[in-house]
Amino acid sequence: MSLPERQTDIGPPHYEKFLPPVIKKNYGKWAHHEVLSGGTMVHVAESGDKLYTVRVASPRILSTDTIREICEMAEKYSDGYLRFTTRNNVEFLLSDQSKMAPLLAELKDKKYSVGGIGPRISNIVHTQGWVHCHSACTDASGIVKSVMDELHDYFTTKTLPNKVRLAVACCVNMCGAVHCSDIAVVAIHRKVPVIDHETVGKMCEIPTTVSSCPTSAIRPNPKTKSITINEEKCMYCGNCFTVCPPIEIHNPQQDGVAIVVGGKVGSLRTDPKFSKLAIPYIENEPPRWPKVVAAIKNILDVYAANAKKHERVGEWIERVGWEDFFKLTGIPFTFQHIDDFTFMRDTLRNSAAFKY
Amino acid sequence: MGGKYKTPMLDELEKGPWPSFVTEIKKAAKRTEMADDELGQVEKSYVTKRGYWKHGGIVGVLGYGGGVIGRYSSLPNEFPGIAHFHTVRLNQPSGFFYTAEALKMIMDIWDKYGSGLTNMHGSTGDLVLLGTTTENLEVLFAEYSSRGWDLGGSGSAMRTPSCCVGQARCEWACIDTMAICNEVTQYYQDQLHRPSFPYKFKIKVAGCACDCVAAIARADLSIIGTWKDNIRIDQAEVKKYADGGMNIQAEIVEMCPTACMSYDGKTLKVNDAQCSRCMHCIAKMTKALKQGKVKGASILVGSKAPIVVGSLLSWVVVPFMELEAPFDNLKDLADKMIEWWDDNAKPRERIGELIEVKGMRPFLEAIEMPPVPQQVKYPRKDPFFFWSESDFN
Amino acid sequence: MEQTEIQEKIFAYMQQMKGKKKLKEKDIIKKIMEESGDDKDTVKKALRAMIDVGKVMYSYGGGSSSVEIPSEEYLKEKGLI
Repeated sequence: MSLPERQTDIGPPHYEKFLPPVIKKNYGKWAHHEVLSGGTMVHVAESGDKLYTVRVASPRILSTDTIREICEMAEKYSDGYLRFTTRNNVEFLLSDQSKMAPLLAELKDKKYSVGGIGPRISNIVHTQGWVHCHSACTDASGIVKSVMDELHDYFTTKTLPNKVRLAVACCVNMCGAVHCSDIAVVAIHRKVPVIDHETVGKMCEIPTTVSSCPTSAIRPNPKTKSITINEEKCMYCGNCFTVCPPIEIHNPQQDGVAIVVGGKVGSLRTDPKFSKLAIPYIENEPPRWPKVVAAIKNILDVYAANAKKHERVGEWIERVGWEDFFKLTGIPFTFQHIDDFTFMRDTLRNSAAFKY
Repeated sequence: MGGKYKTPMLDELEKGPWPSFVTEIKKAAKRTEMADDELGQVEKSYVTKRGYWKHGGIVGVLGYGGGVIGRYSSLPNEFPGIAHFHTVRLNQPSGFFYTAEALKMIMDIWDKYGSGLTNMHGSTGDLVLLGTTTENLEVLFAEYSSRGWDLGGSGSAMRTPSCCVGQARCEWACIDTMAICNEVTQYYQDQLHRPSFPYKFKIKVAGCACDCVAAIARADLSIIGTWKDNIRIDQAEVKKYADGGMNIQAEIVEMCPTACMSYDGKTLKVNDAQCSRCMHCIAKMTKALKQGKVKGASILVGSKAPIVVGSLLSWVVVPFMELEAPFDNLKDLADKMIEWWDDNAKPRERIGELIEVKGMRPFLEAIEMPPVPQQVKYPRKDPFFFWSESDFN
Repeated sequence: MEQTEIQEKIFAYMQQMKGKKKLKEKDIIKKIMEESGDDKDTVKKALRAMIDVGKVMYSYGGGSSSVEIPSEEYLKEKGLI
């Protein structure tokens, strides 16, 4: 069988091919929108036309079977038009309101979770984990599933002071906006890498490996034609492993996750913020990471009970102060919380006015 | 097929209301040995608490260096189905819009040549096809490209640009994010498919300060829609919000970060000269408040994740520029940024890191932007600074 | 210089550096510009023509992309050497 003729550099198909007629007609002319329920909303155009959106959770890893099933529902209820969100939800785009109820019924019947709109928890942005990544030191999908099972009501119905954006990164490379999330999990190493000197000598460029270290802990070792690591300087970032895989950073018994809080990506109301360290280490406990789930639930509950309406997690913490955050959540404050990397001078307190 | 492995750990993750990735892998495992062996290897990872993947190498489609990421099981004898398990990135349409027909076509081809597993979508934005063999790559590429679908970026290259839903569905989009995204994607096809940069370069386009695509957190070049003139207020709609129970004083006026609003119980006023265009009031009262009509974008540069010396958020470099198709001013600006970066960066150095090393001045001079107060939170505090000859004229 | 001559120089340089340093596209272009006296675009075009037929290929490892010579079996099979 001969192959069809390949084309190069054509780029993605133009999006116009995939827009429902109601969007084509009202493109750039939307007037306002209204959230109808945890997972449905209506956008109203200046022309009066309406577009109904039904948002559904996905685990991001989808089989072709499930995608076909979603497509079939789109054909039945939204003239075949659908989109995905930046947080990996599926959205059915309906121009006919009367089709919304039967779509919701079929989704319920097939056990899809409808939600993620408004002051709630949307899908968790996450990385590949053990499913598909060489540098993962936890499994992102397993943590996401365990956390979202626990917080499911906050996706579908229950509301919070504002939206809460969660993320999970399976190592510090952070292929997701973990560094700017309301509450996020990032997997970390805690032990100096173990070096396979023979392979390092054969496989790796020594100067590149030396310069990959952000704390200058790596020196060339001419004797072994490999490198040595100054254990006192190593902060276990794993960048040396990335440029030179025989420098083994993984340590299954000591690797685990940290929890960071208070970040946001948008400039809405307050500046974008980095997430900051709340809990430096929780061990990996597959399959359901109960301590991680409990820690996130605790932070979320304290936020929900204490934040003002419209305050994001980071805005609430900045208003009450980090000393209050640790008091209210009961999270112990440790040496790991005090920055001794790049931002120490910006993060230590100068003022003599603070709370107990 | 399927069911080769007992997976008591993963089976636990099929319980509960949230959709299960394990169920998805099991569905594919009924049809492909790849997905079945994937299931077996992930179960093993759950027992031993470690991953078993290697990546990299010469793997891709002829002529391209991007769009395919080589992935191999480090236990090929135990899990032969995933000895090769490469990722293929298909460049998503702007805004992640699809028709069922197009998606089903993509799935039909993937079922023929791959594991049956996908990510909808990857972190950068591509439609990710998870797991195929080296020998199937050219076939896949011919099948997809002949139907109008191309690969996305990977490696030290322009990465697949992405954007928020923009004017397709959102009343707050100050710029046509999907058109911009599509246009720059087409413009940078060569740099996207043939890695010739010092490191990755990401572009994200958000229609307003809400930044639903995390452009300021996650893109080397962050494009954020904004406006310049006065907020338009419909007082009749303001009254409806008040009548509907909104505490306008507490929720809007007192939460305005620049304290530029007032409300006397009847009329809502904005001191537009003091407004920072943060979107809070507009987002909360979308029927009553509209942005001005002079719209464009703020351009920020430099964000990245923590590796190597800590994460960065993008910095404002051009406070306002008008963006109309075909967006030549944006392309010209991006070209200048990339050229300066490409000329000066070490391997694996992102543009934000290079600006930190070289200083903002040479960067601004390279993109021909003057210094303006909008670029800083506050000016320099210590009295050490450079003077160059041009400052004495 | 003729394109084929430039390409021979590129291939020879890449063989010489094999196993010593991962070469980025830019490293190769810079080196050959010095050797041949041709401009950047000419050298880049010659290199890209080699990449298009698979005589040399993009590779990824150690966190970044480079250009490499594929295996001898591959080059023989495709009639490229």
